[in-house]
Amino acid sequence: MRHEGRVLAVLGVVLCAASAARPALGPRYGGELRIAVAEMPATLDPAAPRGTAERLLAFLVHEPVLGVDDDGRPRPGLAQSWSSAADGREWTLRLGPATFHDGSPLDSADAARSLRRFLRTGSTAAAHLARTLEGGDEFRGGGTGALPGLATPDETRIVLRFRAPMALPLAALASPAAAVVSSRGAGAGPFAPTTPVSARGLSAVAFGRHVRGRPFVDVVRLVAPGPDRGPGDPGGADVSASSPPLPPAAGTLMLVLDPGVPAFADGRTRALVAASVDRAQLVRRFLPGGEPADVLVSSLLLPPWPAAASPAPAGPASLSGRITLRVGSDVPASASQRVVAHLAALGAEVQATAVPAAVAATESGQARLVLWYPEVPEPGLALEELAAIADSREAREALAAADLERNADRRRAGLLRAEEALRASDILVPLARLPLRLGPRPGVHGLRATAAGILVVEDAWIEP
Amino acid sequence: MDRAVSAGDESGRRGHGLRARLLVAFVLVAVPPLLLFAAFVVALVSERLERSARQRLGQGLEAVRTRVGALRRQADAAVTAIAAGELPAHAPSEEEASRAATVLGDRHGLPLLEIVDASGRVLSSRQWRAGTGLPERDRQVPGSPELRWETVEEGYGATERLAVVAVRPGMWAGAPVLVRGGFPIDAALVTELSDLMGAEVALRDTARRRWVARPGSPLAGSTEPPLDPGRGEGTVDLAGTEYRWAAAALGPAVWEVVAVPHTLMAEVTGGLRRLTLAVALAALLAALVTALVLSGRIAGPVRALAAQARGVAAGDLDHGRALDAPDEIGDLARAFASMTTELRTSRERLVQAERVAAWREMARRLAHELKNPIFPIQLSIETLRRALDQEGAQDAARFQALFRESSDTILDELRSLRAIVEEFSQFARMPPPRLAAVDLGEVVERVLALYRARAGAVRIEASLAPDLPPVSADRDLIGRALGNLVANALEAMPDGGTLSVRTRRADDGVAIEVADSGPGLTEEQRTRLFTPYYTTKKGGTGLGLAIVQGIVSDHGGRIQVESAPGQGTKFVLVLPRTETAIMAGEP
Repeated sequence: MRHEGRVLAVLGVVLCAASAARPALGPRYGGELRIAVAEMPATLDPAAPRGTAERLLAFLVHEPVLGVDDDGRPRPGLAQSWSSAADGREWTLRLGPATFHDGSPLDSADAARSLRRFLRTGSTAAAHLARTLEGGDEFRGGGTGALPGLATPDETRIVLRFRAPMALPLAALASPAAAVVSSRGAGAGPFAPTTPVSARGLSAVAFGRHVRGRPFVDVVRLVAPGPDRGPGDPGGADVSASSPPLPPAAGTLMLVLDPGVPAFADGRTRALVAASVDRAQLVRRFLPGGEPADVLVSSLLLPPWPAAASPAPAGPASLSGRITLRVGSDVPASASQRVVAHLAALGAEVQATAVPAAVAATESGQARLVLWYPEVPEPGLALEELAAIADSREAREALAAADLERNADRRRAGLLRAEEALRASDILVPLARLPLRLGPRPGVHGLRATAAGILVVEDAWIEP
Repeated sequence: MDRAVSAGDESGRRGHGLRARLLVAFVLVAVPPLLLFAAFVVALVSERLERSARQRLGQGLEAVRTRVGALRRQADAAVTAIAAGELPAHAPSEEEASRAATVLGDRHGLPLLEIVDASGRVLSSRQWRAGTGLPERDRQVPGSPELRWETVEEGYGATERLAVVAVRPGMWAGAPVLVRGGFPIDAALVTELSDLMGAEVALRDTARRRWVARPGSPLAGSTEPPLDPGRGEGTVDLAGTEYRWAAAALGPAVWEVVAVPHTLMAEVTGGLRRLTLAVALAALLAALVTALVLSGRIAGPVRALAAQARGVAAGDLDHGRALDAPDEIGDLARAFASMTTELRTSRERLVQAERVAAWREMARRLAHELKNPIFPIQLSIETLRRALDQEGAQDAARFQALFRESSDTILDELRSLRAIVEEFSQFARMPPPRLAAVDLGEVVERVLALYRARAGAVRIEASLAPDLPPVSADRDLIGRALGNLVANALEAMPDGGTLSVRTRRADDGVAIEVADSGPGLTEEQRTRLFTPYYTTKKGGTGLGLAIVQGIVSDHGGRIQVESAPGQGTKFVLVLPRTETAIMAGEP
């Protein structure tokens, strides 16, 4: 009897050890990863992502020429190497062997065609690239089809010529909108879609000839909420909002106060609103997992100066009248309610209306509460995006100067000045920093999120 | 035939007049009472429906008051209990403080519970957690401490809901606070009450001009509330449907409003009105049919009786026959038939009597006319006999002279007798006219030529129209009639005068006027002028003008006389034109 007990104990220990050791055994191929999304994008075409779902899909089926690391420096994408010449004004990118999902080979002509398309999109990164590339503005404006700043000497090389030497000239190529697609619309990302995108979801299978190799999971399925399932209901998904969110907290919950609206035309009123929100309490009570945000760009991208005490706003102590607050659908409702409570406490009658995240991110007018992620996780481009939203000339000038600054410290100082200029206008009011509101269930490994809020699925694997 | 037709029409009109009157009488008797009854029924049903609607509205208002009162009492009890001893005695953690209202609200079934510190900051809120730590923003309804617009979280923001609340002071970790809790009287509540009452139930904040109504309620859609201060009920058109509403004050600025579609009542009353109209029309139709049948039965015998009367009036006494009707009309018809039979008998007796009288008159006239010549004949023969007996052949010469004188007298009287006989014979055997186209001017000239020699002191004037159309007449008979008139005129002027003969066109033919300047006729003479054997002349037979009238009548014409004493006499003969005369002369 005692002997049998020992045997059972040993077996139990062995089984527990084996179970605990499974993740440690490393990734394994196979399985289906179901990701619950609140809303589905309208199309799979490469574009600057404007909402959670678009960010999720950004690099699922598409691949850009280059990526950026957390410091904004290029990392390999379709281009495996790059070099500069002419004192940093000319850059040559060498494409690695790659194919599209439809089996056609990917060459420099495809990349050049995709970049030309990219330059004429509404992307902030595209505008930045066009401004710095030789003949880029003229090409982007549609005045000419010639683009002297872009050349393809052979099937593997792309040559970019810039107007001036720049600190990070290639960062804009990391935009999801700059992904390379074939002339027939096929992508080259880690997963090949097998169904058209629809309101019900999307299925994609692992692409064996992806430039970085085959992803681990066989199938990725994006599941949209059905009539019998709310957005918070995982419905058996492997990745959902009900699981612990994925770090980093890179999303900025931001109140956008349009100065064109009479209620916010006065900068002192905007300052009053910006100062009225108790960010710490907001995060503590209503945004678990978040961080208070005093600056616009995440410290992951742009570490701030030591915080200085902000002066108390002088001017009106209250708001009046009716304010319509358009809230992006990816903003937590509790956070929105708290902001509404703050505005109401100032005396305003607030009507909060939920709108799709993409709409909240782009449309102007009234007050908006948005969850903002940079299109490209590089501080200069991120601030340029914010400067476009705030329409701040001062910030744009500071950013233009910083772009040309190749000294990292001086560039950072310039970026911080731009950020301060943006924040001082109180048009963009940072409230909190949020992680991606999506997390894997236990047993799903390798899933990570970028500082741009993009879910990287290609390294994910499922524990059997 | 035409007269018969027109008489029939007239008879029909009279019959229809009676029938129409009978119809009108039937309709007037049958329809107005029915309409009055229908109006009474409609009014009664409308009144009952109105009363029912008022009761329903009143019950709805009472249900709202009852429900709100119950919620108020429930809130009062719960909040009193919470404030009295369920608030934390020691400072709770932020999390505990935040959850306190939710926990206490759950415990007491209060969906709304808020704890506010002395400075007006929300320490804990069940319905608006986002407001925790911030100044409260709820608004009390003016004049109603128990009614408030509470801020309640909804979606990405908040909404305001009317609530019935109770407020009690309490102590929160040793500090004075106000505990306010209650129940929303919101769309869910009014929806429940609306479903329960089968009516639109809503609340109206007149100060803030806001409705609390079920989703889709027509009341909420009305931009102008039906409430008229000082008026507790009425009707209003909401989204094209008429509603009957009633309202009562829940507070100085909050009204409870209950509305029911007026369509049901309108449908019922409308249906009743339509039914009544249909019944009235049916009754009208039935009355018309009945009236037609009955009036036909009543008016038929009357019409037949009237036809008989008209026949009798026209001289047809054979029409009088009894009708087979058992009622008063039958009695009348039988009496009329008896009267007609009596009339027929009387007429036959009268004709017989007239015939006898005529023969007597004839005999008297004959006797009178014959007696005049017979007496001179008798006297002459007696004179001759006496002369013969007294003187014989002794004085032959004297006897011869006497014989000649007497025989002359006898012959004269015999001629007179023959003339009388001839005239009677002519009158008795007046020949029918042989019609032919006759120029009356030529006839007049021929007659006047015969009499000009005998005119003596009488001046004859002729005025003949030159373009007279020919008439269809018997030349000889017309000449004889004209001759009689001319002879009469000349005899009327033994001492002279003027005889005027004139021809002219008349409306219905051709006229011949024979006028004398004689002594004229009295009224009696004029009226008896054409009576046979009536004469004003010594030795006249009284047949001349009768013959003239007969001739003119046989020609389809007419004769008129215009005369007054001392103003002469004028006869006017009017003969029809050719066509008419010929037709009239056809057998």
